[in-house]
Amino acid sequence: MKRFKTTKGLIGIVVLLAIALVAIVGPMVIPPDAATAMDMHARRAPPSLAHVFGTDQLGRDLMYRVILGARTSLEIAVSAVVMSIVFGLPLGLISGYFGGFVDNVLMRLVDTLLAFPALLLALTISAVLGPNVQNTIIAIGIAFTPFLARIIRGEALKVTQMPYVEAARASGTTDGMIMVRHVLPNIRPALIVQGTISLAFAILAEAGLSFLGLGTQPPAASWGLMIQASRDQLDIAPWTAVVPGLAVALTVLGLNMLGDVLRDILDPRSK
Amino acid sequence: MTYVINRLLSVILTLFLITLVTFAVTNILPGDVAMMIMGTQSNPAALAGLRESLGLNDPLLVQYAHWVTGLLTGDWGNSLIFKKPIVELLIQKAVASGIIVAMSMTIALVLAVPLGVWAAVHRDRWQDTVSSSASLLGVSLPDFFWGIVMILVFARALGWFPSSGFVEPSQDLWGTLQHAFLPSLALGLGLMAHLTRMTRSTMTGILSQEFIRVARAKGLAERTVIWRYALANAIGPVITIAGLQIGYLFGSIIVMETLFGYTGMGWLTYQALLNRDLPLIQDTVFLIAAVVMLTNLAVDLLYVLIDPRIRLG
Repeated sequence: MKRFKTTKGLIGIVVLLAIALVAIVGPMVIPPDAATAMDMHARRAPPSLAHVFGTDQLGRDLMYRVILGARTSLEIAVSAVVMSIVFGLPLGLISGYFGGFVDNVLMRLVDTLLAFPALLLALTISAVLGPNVQNTIIAIGIAFTPFLARIIRGEALKVTQMPYVEAARASGTTDGMIMVRHVLPNIRPALIVQGTISLAFAILAEAGLSFLGLGTQPPAASWGLMIQASRDQLDIAPWTAVVPGLAVALTVLGLNMLGDVLRDILDPRSK
Repeated sequence: MTYVINRLLSVILTLFLITLVTFAVTNILPGDVAMMIMGTQSNPAALAGLRESLGLNDPLLVQYAHWVTGLLTGDWGNSLIFKKPIVELLIQKAVASGIIVAMSMTIALVLAVPLGVWAAVHRDRWQDTVSSSASLLGVSLPDFFWGIVMILVFARALGWFPSSGFVEPSQDLWGTLQHAFLPSLALGLGLMAHLTRMTRSTMTGILSQEFIRVARAKGLAERTVIWRYALANAIGPVITIAGLQIGYLFGSIIVMETLFGYTGMGWLTYQALLNRDLPLIQDTVFLIAAVVMLTNLAVDLLYVLIDPRIRLG
């Protein structure tokens, strides 16, 4: 099992690096109009030498579109997770560190938010704000915040009871200083693990939102949008669903593999 | 008794907070609701009329009070797109979704528990690797992707099940189940992957405990040790986690019911969001959050019932 774990982590990292490379470098090196060029003679063409992944209903090359989609999907996922950390980290830290009344009030709010399924919350926010890339990020970011706050709060609560925090308090260090210098570094492992897993969920959420038409809007390329467009032509062109579906699966799989291994390494209690 | 009363008070408080969050999300965020419903190109008189009829000119606090009073007295308002009382719509759709939720949860548990136990018993061997890899793959695919695969394989290629639609159970119960099966299977598989992982880790923890060694040392059959001793202790946490997945399930049914044209709560929520039907959005979002919260409470109480070691003062 130990070997499996190391291999798993290695595969995860390699897959993620490859996808990140494609998402960052890809759009720079492919011909500028490659992903939007329509070839009406080759609509819904199956994978071939001319079009490695086939083409969609407008004759656009799926390989180029999946590369452009990688950028959109990753951009949204990373921004949304960063946003949930920006809100969730202080919330969880303050709640766990101070405890008592502050904790009660904040966690009551977080628990209420947790009653809303994340996808429902994200869909509603996106529908109210009007669907586009920026609002998709905001919607997913807000929807993920309570999960992060809950986990950070639990970790902060544990760390706050450590003798070194007591020592720092006794020596007159201010609360703010203790939180930044002593508590924060010790919850970093949990934050990294949760961040990795959140990224996987954010990719899935973006795909779900775009699939329902309440995320990224055409003509932008995103994996969820590509799967949505494939719905009406499943019989005649199944590759239009399989290509973006596999892209999502590969990315999320890589993130989950890395998340599993990171959890085993960074958080020995979970063994 | 004190525990029950405290718990009830906290439920009421949480329900109140749920109404606040729902109202805040749908009203305080920037954007003109009337324009959101009718589009930016609509004529000013029509917009003013709509604002008046929805009570959008009242102060927010009055609008909120009006909505909550309605919720309490059973007047949940009318849907703008379906032109029907929302209560009527919700009751009808809740039955449809209840079938899917129950079916997918059953499918997930029936498959996940044995698979997770199997992996834990053969820990670190090939069986574990197979089970762990399969469930890792399961949690990594979007569930609507499973849905698409189901449609392609079981509906289009094999023709065993209808690919979309819903039949009223009062008219044709068998038809209802047939229409519900594929969306439930797609949801159940995603859920199964989560639960398999949870069952495996819970079982692994229990199998390494002292009382299992004692049971084995006593010469009990391995089957008895695993299924009667270990699983009896693992089933509580697994059911708790399954209960917590209700929230995830209620999010996923929005996608899945839409994909399968299955007209339940998820489909209704999607129609409300897509058509900016504000009263319907508010009511469905509130109802789903309330159901999720109450389910979690029920699971908590169930846990106390099935595990006699937990006694709450």
